[in-house]
Amino acid sequence: MIEFSLNGKNVSADVVEDTPLLWVLRDTLGLTGTKYGCGIAQCGSCTVHVDGEAQRSCVLTAKSIAGKSITTIEGLSPDRSHALQKAWIAEQVPQCGYCQSGQLMQAAALLKTKPNPTDADIDEAMSGVICRCGTYHRIRLAIKRAAADV
Amino acid sequence: MKDDMTNVSRRALLKTSAATAAVLIVPIAWPAEFAVAASDATGLTPYLKIHADGTITALLPTTEMGQGIHTGQMMILADELGAAPAQFKIEMPSQPSDAFRVKFGATMRQRSVGSHGIRSWHDRLRGAAAKARNVLVQAAASQLGVPAGELETADGFVVHKASDKKLAFGALVADAAKLPLPEEPQLRPEAERRLIGKDFPRIDIPSKTDGSAVYGVDVKLPDMLHGAVRLAPVWRADVENIDGKAALALPGVVAVVKVPRGAVVVAKTWWQAKQAAGALVVTFTKTEHDGWSSAKQSADMRAGLDKADAPVVMTKGDVNAALQGAAKKVDAIYEVPMLAHMCMEPSVCTAKVTADRVDLWIPTQDHDIAVEEAAAASGLANDKVFISTPYLGGGFGRKGRGEIVTQAVLASKAVGGKPVKVMWSREDETQQGAYRPAMMARFSAGLDADGKMVALDMLLSGPQMGREYKHVKFEKNADPLTIASLVNNKYQVANQVLSHTVVDVPLPLSPWRSVSSSQNAFFLESFIDEAAAVAGKDPLQFRRDHLAGQKRHQAVLDKVAEMSKWGVTLPKGVSRGVALDESYGSVTAQVAEVAVEGGKLKVHRMFVAIDCGRAINPNSVVAQMQGSIIEGLGAAMRNRVTVENGRAKESNFGDYPVMRMNEVPPEVHVAIVEIGSPLGGAGEPGVPGIAPAVANAVFAATGKRIRMLPFGDQIA
Repeated sequence: MIEFSLNGKNVSADVVEDTPLLWVLRDTLGLTGTKYGCGIAQCGSCTVHVDGEAQRSCVLTAKSIAGKSITTIEGLSPDRSHALQKAWIAEQVPQCGYCQSGQLMQAAALLKTKPNPTDADIDEAMSGVICRCGTYHRIRLAIKRAAADV
Repeated sequence: MKDDMTNVSRRALLKTSAATAAVLIVPIAWPAEFAVAASDATGLTPYLKIHADGTITALLPTTEMGQGIHTGQMMILADELGAAPAQFKIEMPSQPSDAFRVKFGATMRQRSVGSHGIRSWHDRLRGAAAKARNVLVQAAASQLGVPAGELETADGFVVHKASDKKLAFGALVADAAKLPLPEEPQLRPEAERRLIGKDFPRIDIPSKTDGSAVYGVDVKLPDMLHGAVRLAPVWRADVENIDGKAALALPGVVAVVKVPRGAVVVAKTWWQAKQAAGALVVTFTKTEHDGWSSAKQSADMRAGLDKADAPVVMTKGDVNAALQGAAKKVDAIYEVPMLAHMCMEPSVCTAKVTADRVDLWIPTQDHDIAVEEAAAASGLANDKVFISTPYLGGGFGRKGRGEIVTQAVLASKAVGGKPVKVMWSREDETQQGAYRPAMMARFSAGLDADGKMVALDMLLSGPQMGREYKHVKFEKNADPLTIASLVNNKYQVANQVLSHTVVDVPLPLSPWRSVSSSQNAFFLESFIDEAAAVAGKDPLQFRRDHLAGQKRHQAVLDKVAEMSKWGVTLPKGVSRGVALDESYGSVTAQVAEVAVEGGKLKVHRMFVAIDCGRAINPNSVVAQMQGSIIEGLGAAMRNRVTVENGRAKESNFGDYPVMRMNEVPPEVHVAIVEIGSPLGGAGEPGVPGIAPAVANAVFAATGKRIRMLPFGDQIA
């Protein structure tokens, strides 16, 4: 039994300790906003916050997050009110949208440490999250818009 | 026939809804050339339903995979009807019928491919909405006691301006539903269309910012189990022996199910299923392709180029005579590799099989294939298969295949009909195909003394994509899925021939965004550039010179020249390349601005001009161009699937490196050219031009021709 905090609530999951957090979230706890893309921390679709830091949930074992605070896309804001979510809609970022949970969680972690990121900051933070629809230009614009709004 | 069918459908629909609240239902009729067989009564017809509470539902067959099709189709309906976009809900049918299908060759299929969503549906949607408006206005005219001619519709109301009165659609549907629908409704004049042509926020986007959008992988059902696959690494190999003992002993594992070419392991979570699939002890049969490789394919295709009498697909004039009489000749051989689609969402299908029906939840681009596979795997008839279509996490042509359906159906059957969601891993997705085929081409041209092309000889060597589809009709030697952008090229060259030596491959093929245009535009537009260089002409002007009377092509070339300031000297070290393409009913021109520094290529700026007739939602067209450029550029620079010993080497994003944020051209400028052309597509036409535009810019920078993709390692 693994216990941790998920989007501000204490939860427990009866899983084998080496189960990746991604599958605990998706299949055991039923939170499907966090997506599988590669399983080996190459694509970033599964990005969540662990104690406020962006991490790839596909390679984090359940054991490693015991007692920690996890935030997923479902917990980014209760009502799409996060500056990034508003900016994502304003810039019409998503196409298929599958990677965008990961993009948003990565961007949210970026803005926490760098409220006014440069292009180089954005490149460095965001290049780990793949978008196959090619929405990168709009992601950049949306991050800058959100930074300006905060 | 058409009218009868329309009436029958409408009567049937009205009957089913008579018991509930008043509702106005207008079938979205098909044009006469798509006349539906009277026997096809399995599905409903597409419809527009206006409810008494003011909500409007439209039942439409096109899959939303990020191209914004539901928004575009809704805009067409709302604009013509005079409804508020917020009133709308788009639903998808649970079964294909000809009324939902689009014509592909000689057959009708419910497929979301070929950039058809707008161009095949625009007139039908508009006509249906005009019919609905007509009866709503008539009903309002009676209620208000004013002539119908004094009424207009806006934001979901019928409005009488003179008396400042208005009635909501919902209050009119009971009366309107009793009126006969006009056969030829008057369409709103172009000038009064308010939504079309202006950026409209996509209706699917908000749910894609908070994790609530439901994709194929997100389907949740009571008692649902999860499936992972273990498939033969060599195509056309099958299972020789499976020992599932170790796998079945693992936590959560429910069953090991034999499927064609492998097994599905069913477990309580996907992770458990995946671990157990790895624990299966499996041997696969040997095939005659165990030693096959990409290198062998290249050699075979190269030999195919030298074969005499390649089957001719298209010919005009006398190419051989014109080549012999030419003042100058140009000749080049090109090659492109196999490509994987790498949708962020891998192949996935949830199936629930009971004695008398199959329910599928599948993110598919081909509903007919899903039905056919499910019927075959379950032993039930096609009309016992019901489909729910969640959002697609990328499609790009990959999600029109059926093996995942068979796997899910067999898995559900094996566990007593419980729903099973089968998902492939990224490695399965990369290594199991189906791929954009590798192809080779030899192009030859003859130029006259003035540098004009007098002969163009285009020879392809490689497989036929069309062999994947039972319904594709090969006319003579022409495989329509292999010859696009060439057979229809508009270069005014009197003597042309297109031929294709078929060199088959033991791998499944799948359309990859823009299908054969993705390679053919690279061949043709690289070659036209070579011809321009031999002629000593500016490559953009050389194209113009050979496109007399081709208004669309001239217009996009003019636009892209203006945008990129073609002809104006660039800073030292920066070069330009241009390419042109006509595909999916649209014409595009692209200019790439690149620099080659220290053996490294940097694409600084891209300029694209597209004539897609009319952009319904311009921002969506721009998004498609931006995305196409990134997809096409990444593939051209460094993507390939390499087969050795019959199996694909690449397995994940590490060795199949797609474009990332820090690698994309900093600027992509898109212009939509509207000169009154027929409606064209937007999802695919942005891809074909990028590879040749960049390759031609590399030539301008280095004097070196790129004739083989990917070209990332050829720059140095």
